[in-house]
Formats: sequence, structure tokens, C-alpha cells
Amino acid sequence: MKQLKVAIVLVLVGGLLTTAAFFMAFFTAEVQTFGTVTLDKAVDTAFGLAPPELQPPGGGVSYQRPWFSQKIFYFHVPVAEASFLVLIISAVFSVLFLVKRRPQDDTKAKVAMETALIFVILTMITGVLWTRASWNVWWEWEPRLTTYFIMMLMMIAYFVLRNSIEEDERRGVYAAVFAILAAINAPISFLITRVIPSNHPVVFQSGFAGSNLLPFIIAQLGMLALGYGIYTARMSEELLRERVEVAKEELEG
Amino acid sequence: MTETNSTECALEVRGLSRTFGARKALDKVEFDLPQGAFLSIFGPNGAGKSTLLKVLSTLTTPSKGTARVLGLDVVADAVALRERMGLISHNPLLYPDLSAEENLEFFAEIYCLENPKERIRELLVAVELDHRRLDLVRTFSRGMLQRLSIARALLHAPEIIFLDEPYSGLDPHAMDILDSLIAQVREQHTFVMVSHDLSKGLELCSHALILAKGAVVLFEERDNIDADEFAATYRATVGMGVA
Amino acid sequence: MAPPKRMSGWRQFKAIIRKDIVMELRTKEMLTSMGLYALLVLVVYYIALSQAGANFQVRQIAAGLLWLVFIFTSLLGLNRSLVHEKDQGCLDALLISPIDRPVIFFGKAVGNLLFLLIVEVFIVPLFYFIFLGSQSNADVGGPVWMIVLALFLGSLGIAGVGTLLATMSVNTKGKDFILAVLFIPLMFPLLLAVVAGTSAVLLAEPGYAAVFWQMMALAAGYDTVMLLAAYGLYEFVLGA
Repeated sequence: MKQLKVAIVLVLVGGLLTTAAFFMAFFTAEVQTFGTVTLDKAVDTAFGLAPPELQPPGGGVSYQRPWFSQKIFYFHVPVAEASFLVLIISAVFSVLFLVKRRPQDDTKAKVAMETALIFVILTMITGVLWTRASWNVWWEWEPRLTTYFIMMLMMIAYFVLRNSIEEDERRGVYAAVFAILAAINAPISFLITRVIPSNHPVVFQSGFAGSNLLPFIIAQLGMLALGYGIYTARMSEELLRERVEVAKEELEG
Repeated sequence: MTETNSTECALEVRGLSRTFGARKALDKVEFDLPQGAFLSIFGPNGAGKSTLLKVLSTLTTPSKGTARVLGLDVVADAVALRERMGLISHNPLLYPDLSAEENLEFFAEIYCLENPKERIRELLVAVELDHRRLDLVRTFSRGMLQRLSIARALLHAPEIIFLDEPYSGLDPHAMDILDSLIAQVREQHTFVMVSHDLSKGLELCSHALILAKGAVVLFEERDNIDADEFAATYRATVGMGVA
Repeated sequence: MAPPKRMSGWRQFKAIIRKDIVMELRTKEMLTSMGLYALLVLVVYYIALSQAGANFQVRQIAAGLLWLVFIFTSLLGLNRSLVHEKDQGCLDALLISPIDRPVIFFGKAVGNLLFLLIVEVFIVPLFYFIFLGSQSNADVGGPVWMIVLALFLGSLGIAGVGTLLATMSVNTKGKDFILAVLFIPLMFPLLLAVVAGTSAVLLAEPGYAAVFWQMMALAAGYDTVMLLAAYGLYEFVLGA
């Protein structure tokens, strides 16, 4: 049960850190925009320039408060990066499983994939909010969003595949093979969506004002803690379930 | 048939386990089988019969322990071993949209046989399918399929033949034909059969093995077995089996 | 303890291909189902485009439409091709024979590639004739060999990755559905690249060759990485 306690602590810490980062972002961003700076690329660099129709009328008008939508950045990017990291972890456990055939590696890969799916869905939701607020559209086939959309589909496919196989070991092997392919495919998808010729203007240009880095790092740490917390909680549940299975079998025997 | 090198044993199984997590498909199985023997493996569903057959036929690898077939290790010498074994299953393992001859030709190519035509002709005559050799396998009856499937298994003159429930789904007439075919090649080969059918299995075998929950319950030569006693042991095992 | 005779992977590879071709020539199952399905999709395209108006240039989206036909017809073919091996347990017979696992992979993948290319040979001219032939700028467009190259690189990836995925999906409940769910997201980057490449050639705007070659490089990169992965993972799939 120690694991569960660790999980709860991690989730709390993660929640605290991300919330803190969110409010810090108001503070630091405000410092940055303090003193009537024109809406130039120096200001909201973390977020890129808003399209003209969203800029205050008259252009070059002094600008006191940062876009609220910018705050999504401190949630969206950390969660997106964390989800990719967890996908890689899942693929690593999958490789381990294929080599060593230990069921616990399969369980770890599965739970990591679950965590990754949760994060990808969060990325999608915040991404949609962001595109709406920033570009005034609900959906934009922007390279990152597109890649995450494909990642989400692959993760869902992973669980569909798992559910369609009865036999333990075969399920583990097939799922592991697919997880590895998915992890290889995700960066390729990103690369290709980036270089594909497209009619859409490139709206997103990232760059960082130094003062925004701190809340960003805190948010990232919080998100990783949250991810590990979710992972640990699910793992302890899985282990418990397995113990019940074994106990059941022993009783029957 | 070339003499097998160094060992008299067709099967040498030592501490063979096949596990996945807490599930033990095979649990420290150990036995020796001499050359030319006919081993029948009995056991309830889920006892590990087919897993044992899979390990011996190199389709899956053991988690612990070793198994040597014809003196060759099932993991290290898998490729060399595959040239010397055949499989007859309840599945025909034949392509329905190829003719009898084409099926055998395909597998002859896979085994890289010299003079496949002659060998195929000879086998088709032996299984009494020569007159149907140009017909699609799709049109064959269950019994004919099984005969062709035997021809396929014998194609590369294997030294050991695995039988996976070969009698299931056969009508009595087809069973008789299968019996006589096995009897014909019985002399030169070692057989390992997995079966549900107690009487059939005992009738054919020279050695019997009962598995339950992956472990050996009984391994005995046929001559030392009393049929009734054996049936009782078997029933007891099934009773404690995984239903 | 050397084997008495050398097993020849090349001979086994040829045997697998020949067997698939003989079976196909006899039943014409895969080609008719794939071809017919492709024709049906073309009809659906016509319906979809019927209200597009006179100013609409089908050429702008033709590459995408063309690849859509192939991606769906290939699903059909891949599933069939592996069901043949699975149905009567023939795959087990192959697995206990002295054949290297990669030979099975290459045999099946090359067979699938072949059938896909044959379907493409019929569908591409038909597609051009129906949707592009009557357009005012029918003579615009880059050289045909460029389109052929794009078709080949795309089909290579489809056949290679598809063979691996179909080998898994035939062992699951709901074979064809699972195949589609696994296949399409994995194909996404390749499709994006080949559609962009094909489109560049079809539209032949100034500087299209540079775009085309960049896209072909991406497609070739994808093919290399994913085929190597599929080749490496195939043995695990067969062993499960």
C-alpha cells in the first residue's frame, strides 16, 4: 500500500506545482508586459503573435494584460511533452517485454500507455481551447496538434488491439510490437507534418522570454509528477488485481 | 534414413518449464523417449499438452530447462531440427485453392527437396490420392484431406512425427485409413501424439504420458500399463484438472 | 552437425510468391474484390464531387482521392492474404519447416506489393480518364514516371507495414476492423508525403520537382525506418 501513498503524494505535488505555475505565469507575464509595450513580437513570445483580427483595434495600441489564452501554454506544452515521454517509456517496457517475456513489463507498458493516453487527451482539449482563443478556429491542422491527434488514434488502437486478444502472452507480444511501431511513428509524423507544403500560414512561432521560463519549468515538473503519480496509482491497482487472480486460482486448485 | 548421431534418445526433456507470470503451462517436465517409440500424451484441457507439443516442435521456447529432440536442442538447433520433423494436426495445413499436387510441390520447395516430382508421385500413390492429384483441395472430403496432410508431413522424410489430435473430426472410415497409414510408416519413425481419446491413444502407443496442470502425473511404458488402472488414474487427473 | 542440404531462402521465397500468384489466378478473389471496391469508391467520389460546380478543379485534390482508393483497397487485400495462411493452419506448417522467418515476411510482403501494384495499374488510368481527362487543363502535369515512383514508394510502405499488421490482426477477434484501426494511423506520415508528392506532379506548378523530390525522400525515409522495424518485429509476431 506504500505505492498508493506515494501515488497520492505525487498527484498532490503535481497538482500544486501546475496550479502554482499557472498563477506565476500571470505574474511574470504581467511584469513582462508592464509599461505599455506595443503588441510586438517581444511580448507574448511564448505564444506567438495573435492574428490581426484578434489584436486590439488600431494596431500598436498599448497593451496591459496578457492574453488569457496564453496561460494555456503553461498547461498545454508540459502535458504534451510529458505525454510523448510516457509513450517512449511505454515503448521501452515493450522492448523489455519482447526480450525477457516478463508479464510485469507488459503491465507496465500498458499502464504507461494509459497515462500517455490521458495526457494526450488533455493535450488535445487544451490545444482546441488554444486554437479557438488564439486563431479563432476550433481546429487547426497544425503540425503539433495533428501529430497528437494521430498519437491519440494510435493509443486508442493499442487498447482496441489488446481487447481483441484473449491469450495473455500473445496479447502482450502484439501490443508491444504495436507500441514500438507507434513510438517510432510519432516523431516521423511530426517531422512530415512540419515539412509538408501547406496553404496554412505558420501562426505558431515559439521563443521564450526568460521570465516565462521559470513557471514553465515548474509546470513541466508538476506535470511529470502528476504523470508518475497516475502511473504508480494504476500500477498498484494492477498488482493488486494480479494478486487477487493468483489467490483465486490457488483457491480453486 | 540416416542414423541419429550420438544418442539413442528421440526425446530428452529435462526440467522443462514454460511459464508466463504466475501461470505455469509446463512445470518441470522430465522424461526420456527412446528412438522409434510412440508416445501418447494425455491430459485434460489446459494441462499443457499442446504447449509441450509446441515446445518440442520449436514453435515456442521453454522458459526454463531443456528439451532435446533427436539429440538436437529445441532452441539452439531449431533450424536443423525442423528439417527432421513433421506435423500432422487436426487442421489439414493445406491450401484449399491449390490442387493436391500443387500443395505438395509448394512444401517440397519450402523444404528444398531434390527431385520433388518423384517423391510427390510416390506419396500420392501411397495415400491413394493419385487419381485426385489435379483436383483442388477445397473439393476434398475430411478423410482425403487428412490423407493428403499425412503425405505433406512425410514429404521430407522426417524422423520424428508430431500428431496433434489427428483423429478429431474424422469419421470411422477415415480413422481406419489414418490407422493403416500410421501403421505403414510406424517402423521407421518416432511419434509423439497429443490426444483426448484414451482408447485410441493407448492402442497405438509404446509409452504414455499424463499431464495435469503442466506437470507429469504418469510416464510409463505401454507394457507396464494396465488399461483399467490407467483409465482410473486419468479420470482422477481430469477430476483435479481445470475443468 | 551441419544440415545435410542447404536450405535456400531464395527458393523458399519464390515458392511463397508463386503459390500466392497461382492461388490468385485461380480464384481471382483478391484482385476482383480490390478492383471492384476501387470502382465503387470512384462512384462515391463522383457523388461527392457532383455538386462541386464548374469552377472546381478536381486536379487540386486528385492526389488525395487517388491515395484514398489505394489505402482502402489495400486493407481488403492485406486481410485476405493473411487469412489464406491462417485458415487451415498453413502458417503453422510453414513455421515448423526449416524456413527463416524473414523469408516468410518478404514473401508475403512482396506478394501483397505485387497485387497492390496490379490494382494500381488498372485504377490510375481509369481515375485519370474519369476525373481529369475532361478538364480544361488535361495536358498539364509532370512526367508520368514521377507518379509511378510515388505510387511505388507508397505501395512499398503499405505492403511492408501492412503485412506485419495483418499477421497480427488475423489472430484477433474482428480481423478487418482491427487492421484498419492499426493501419491508418501508422500510415499517416507516408500518405501525407506521397499525396503531397503526387499532387505536386499533377499540378506541376513552378518548382514542383523540388517539392516532389523532398516528398519522395521523406517517403523513402519512412519506408526504410518502418520496413526495418517491421522486419525486426515480424519474428516476435510469428512466435506468439
